[in-house]
Amino acid sequence: MNEPTFLILTALAGESQHGYAVIEDVERITGGRVRLRAGTLYAALDRLRGEGLIEVDREEVVQSRLRRYYRLTAAGEQSLATETDRLREQATIAERRLRARRADFGGATA
Amino acid sequence: MTEIRYRRLLALYPRDFRQEYGEEMLGVLMADPRPGLTQVADVARGAVAAHFRGLWAGESRAARVVQIFGAILLFAVALRRVTGELFVTVRHFDEVGWQYLEVTSSLRLAAWGVVLVAALLGRRLLGVAGAAAGLAGEILVPARSYVDTPATVLYAYWLIVSAALVLIAGLIADRGAVRPKGSLWVVAGGVVLVLGTVLAPVSQFGAYDLQWILVLFAAVLAAVAIFRQEPRLRARLLCWAAPVIATVPVVEFGFGELIVYNMGHPESTRMISPLQWAVLVLVPAMAFVGASVLDRRGRVTAAATR
Repeated sequence: MNEPTFLILTALAGESQHGYAVIEDVERITGGRVRLRAGTLYAALDRLRGEGLIEVDREEVVQSRLRRYYRLTAAGEQSLATETDRLREQATIAERRLRARRADFGGATA
Repeated sequence: MTEIRYRRLLALYPRDFRQEYGEEMLGVLMADPRPGLTQVADVARGAVAAHFRGLWAGESRAARVVQIFGAILLFAVALRRVTGELFVTVRHFDEVGWQYLEVTSSLRLAAWGVVLVAALLGRRLLGVAGAAAGLAGEILVPARSYVDTPATVLYAYWLIVSAALVLIAGLIADRGAVRPKGSLWVVAGGVVLVLGTVLAPVSQFGAYDLQWILVLFAAVLAAVAIFRQEPRLRARLLCWAAPVIATVPVVEFGFGELIVYNMGHPESTRMISPLQWAVLVLVPAMAFVGASVLDRRGRVTAAATR
């Protein structure tokens, strides 16, 4: 799973959101590091809908423009949970090795 | 950037994508405080990707559901066959002995069982191998009696088409374990099919009518499973079902006369002509293409009327 997909699923894990709200939420989640653009966002939303990971929750018209809210499906929740576990495992390994490395350097310099 | 320019940019997308997301994207683009070349490049890249994806959109997911639902039903049909043979053997063993028990029935049951397990676990190679064996069985068994009774192939026609679809679906289906929504409805349909042989054994008066009612009931249960899917997947599933549905009028109206003639003249050697074979092969393919064209037009129309 690529990062934009992971971030979009994470944004929708909280509550159903429309496209622009997802962009803002992703920016908030990443501390401003990632700000999705419309082309990337809608390519991902279309693909995720096709894969059954998200679905349309509701639609509304705001200033005569369609606004569609998306939500995570059960399959999307499962997929996000699996990816989260995978990332956690990798982060744990990285953390352990960094700690060992620091300990080694600490031993060498002592 | 002005709305007109954004609309021109969105025109790069395929029409159905634009009609599905165009207005939303326009709103997002207008709200984005970072207009410029990067934004244009991002939209253009998305448009190219959408054109490529549109060619294959959602098909692998639909194929996966087709593979699972199809395998459940074909397994149920095979189990129904074996159950029927066992039922007759047990009840009339003194008269018929073991002659009703067909090895080919058990082999087909095993083949579709393998496909079902492989489909649920997402094992593509195993699923394809099982479906190839199942399809071979569904073709070879009626083919054995083709010379004596050509109509047997026609009776098995829908099964052969279904088996071929499950094989094709297995080739392009998504990988990974999954249990699609509505599976229990298909399982219930399968159970009804199997129970038909026990509730309405062929020796019983009126069994033929009752069996047909049960088959129709099973078909309704399978249809419920399809209609419980989200609209996009449902439309694709109906496209996949179209070739099987098309076999009913083809056999009924295209070959009814041949079947009646066959029944009245068991000594006859009147076979299915090359042209009729061509119809049997082409109609399911055309049904799929026709349904897909209607689906695509329907999606475009539905999006346009929103």
